[in-house]
Amino acid sequence: MAEQRKAAQRSTAAGKPKRPAQRSARSALLIATDAKKTVKQRVAAMAEAPLAVCENDANLQAMLKVLRDNEEPVEVRLAALQALQAASFSVVAFASCRGDYIATLRAVVEDANPELRQRVLGILAREKDGFAQQKLLEGLQDPAKALVPPEKALQLLSYDVHADAYPVARAIVSQPPNATARREALRLLAADASSAPLFEKILRDKDEAPEVRQISAAVLQATRPETLQAHAREMLLDPSEQDEMQAVSLTALAQFGNAAALANDAALLHRIDQLSGEQSTRVQQSARQFLSKYGR
Amino acid sequence: MQDGTITGAMSESQFAALVDALATDPDRREQLPELLREAHPLYNERGAAATVRMRGWVLLALARVGVSDAALCFVLEELDTGADAYLVAAAARALRSYPSPTEGFAPFVMRALANIRYRDEPVSFEYYGAYAVSSTGTSPVRELLATLVWLGPHARGVLHEVESLCAHPCGLSKKLLIEVDQAVEAIRKHDQVGEAGADTCCTLPGGLRNMLSWTRRSRRSCEPIQHTVFEDHEGVSITFKEFFQGHPSIVVFFYTRCDNPLKCSLTVTKLARLQKLLEARGLVDQIHTAAITYDPEFDLPERLRGYGQNRGVRMDARHRMLRATNGVNTLRSHFKLGVNFIESLVNRHRIELYILDAEGRIATSFERIHWDEEQVVDRTIEVLQEGSDEPSPVVSLRPADQPTRRINASPVLGTLASLGVAFFPKCPVCWTAYLSVFGIVGLEKIPYSPWLQPVLVAVMLMNLASVWCRGRSTRRMSAFYLGSAGALAIVVSRIGLGGEHAAVWGIALTMAGSLLSALSPSPHRSSPASRSSELSHS
Repeated sequence: MAEQRKAAQRSTAAGKPKRPAQRSARSALLIATDAKKTVKQRVAAMAEAPLAVCENDANLQAMLKVLRDNEEPVEVRLAALQALQAASFSVVAFASCRGDYIATLRAVVEDANPELRQRVLGILAREKDGFAQQKLLEGLQDPAKALVPPEKALQLLSYDVHADAYPVARAIVSQPPNATARREALRLLAADASSAPLFEKILRDKDEAPEVRQISAAVLQATRPETLQAHAREMLLDPSEQDEMQAVSLTALAQFGNAAALANDAALLHRIDQLSGEQSTRVQQSARQFLSKYGR
Repeated sequence: MQDGTITGAMSESQFAALVDALATDPDRREQLPELLREAHPLYNERGAAATVRMRGWVLLALARVGVSDAALCFVLEELDTGADAYLVAAAARALRSYPSPTEGFAPFVMRALANIRYRDEPVSFEYYGAYAVSSTGTSPVRELLATLVWLGPHARGVLHEVESLCAHPCGLSKKLLIEVDQAVEAIRKHDQVGEAGADTCCTLPGGLRNMLSWTRRSRRSCEPIQHTVFEDHEGVSITFKEFFQGHPSIVVFFYTRCDNPLKCSLTVTKLARLQKLLEARGLVDQIHTAAITYDPEFDLPERLRGYGQNRGVRMDARHRMLRATNGVNTLRSHFKLGVNFIESLVNRHRIELYILDAEGRIATSFERIHWDEEQVVDRTIEVLQEGSDEPSPVVSLRPADQPTRRINASPVLGTLASLGVAFFPKCPVCWTAYLSVFGIVGLEKIPYSPWLQPVLVAVMLMNLASVWCRGRSTRRMSAFYLGSAGALAIVVSRIGLGGEHAAVWGIALTMAGSLLSALSPSPHRSSPASRSSELSHS
């Protein structure tokens, strides 16, 4: 038995591909920052370099120089950014490098490469960086200054509830550059309690896309749960309502409704009884779940 | 420019020009600290980032012209609770413009260093609204270390902490280690100790304090907000008058979306600690506590409850998390809250705690700098004791070893009832016989009352119940057993089963039981030692 096990282990070991000789992180960083090496070599070395980034100031500066230098191939710069991001996961070790890192990121937000710009702005936005937020807002107010598409800018601004983006988001909801930007603007406004009337209006507007109406329902559930309950009831009783919204309404009532009131609401229960047999599969399922919960 | 003309309509560049103008005019410099008040109309409807830029610019102006005593609390507040790199750096720089270094500043600088060292980033003070795009300039940690150098020997109270930065420079850029060494060297300059030694450790100059108190006569009436309606963490509605009048209260303000962990989250956590102190002093039922949100539109009851629960807050009828259902404006003007908004969202606020008296009026406020829980409780006790010449018995000596009156049915009454039942005459002839024993004559005057027997039985049973209750509380049931045996003997004798002496034995046993019950020691209520012994018994 033991021999069989050993033989199995030998065969497994034989089947494994041999790993390339492991480089130290330090030597990987030397290759990654060496402009004489090929792009492929450098990108591969970047993946092994993060541990060496904060070993000393020279390593950090070499890596930051690659990221900042617009003469470098963009693949290498993106790989350098990824390596720096990986290094930043070691929060304590990276704290000493943070200042230089943030300064470099700010220096490249206006880089010619859109992918690099977007990724850098994404990192800064997650840090709730005022500089990045200012750039994003400027781009939304004046498309000529935009560093990323409006929907992306809105998404990045939504990371910080204090980013002062509500007025510009409302403007985009009323005059959207595209449907995706409008959707992202609505998502951003989800944290704004004073936008509840706007979401109520969208929720009840049958000309709106179901996805946008569903966002409105989710926002109202978070900010005005009682208002959503009232709308959900009315939407269920409305036979001309979209199937998706009937299902959303059923879920809202079943999960968050006032059990006592719902169990005694004969008109509503009758309507849900009808829905359980007549409508789409999703509505049927939701209706049956509702009825099983409220005793029919 | 008069303060009245400074409004929220002013653009940021106009604001920057105004600050520069005030700084260069010696006659108007004193207006600068006013621009740091959160509630100033300048900050109405500004975003949080704009508020940071504006306040930072004022702090930098103060750094140029010198921080006065009036401005000092704003500078120290930023060091105490600031989480924004730009503001902390500006505050550290401003502090160095105070006329003289003081030992009391050192803990603030160290606290700021501890708070910001893992979030150090370059900042630029070159022009209004500048952001650093290179790391060659300054940073909050660099400014704080420079402030330690400025403090020199006055920071000797924190020397050990600064030295530990050299030994464990975790989070500090290696480039800053030279500046840490410089700070250590400056603090160690003992030749200046004579001058610095005049300081009293940790006292702040200029009469700076974070506590303001009002005498009973000078307190503002709470009439304007008496009918303000709140909703609590359970969704229950209550007015200001209902919750805050009739007893002193401690009120803190917060909002759940605050992203500065040193402000709202810490305030509510400290409120929980404060409640525990009240509990330990036996005051938790006499002093109410409330955490009121600045953001009532977003902070619905469920959010309030979760936020409180996660921070260990006691929540019940006397201790509530509240949102003002009609918005925060009435409260804002009554309490003169240090907060401002963009739409309904807070853009900046200070730390604030209020102690209200039994009429709901503000007796004391703690502002900006973190309050000490013990100090708050002590002050609230003073408010509780107001109006009574003698200290309240609960506050001064609530200890458990104070005997408490308990209502027990008199054992004498029960015993008499037993006697009555035992010897109650069965008929008018017996009644005559009894009275003749006492020498009473005249049968026509004998009042025979058969209804008296059930009354006596009832009183006897009440006596037994009283003895049982007392036995339960004293954990000594022997009196009850004696009393029960006595009652049983009396009943047996009355129905003719027990012979002649049963009633006598019954009376004796009842009396013995009642006496034993009356003489049992009272239950010991409260000394910790006795409690622990009770626990060990159980």
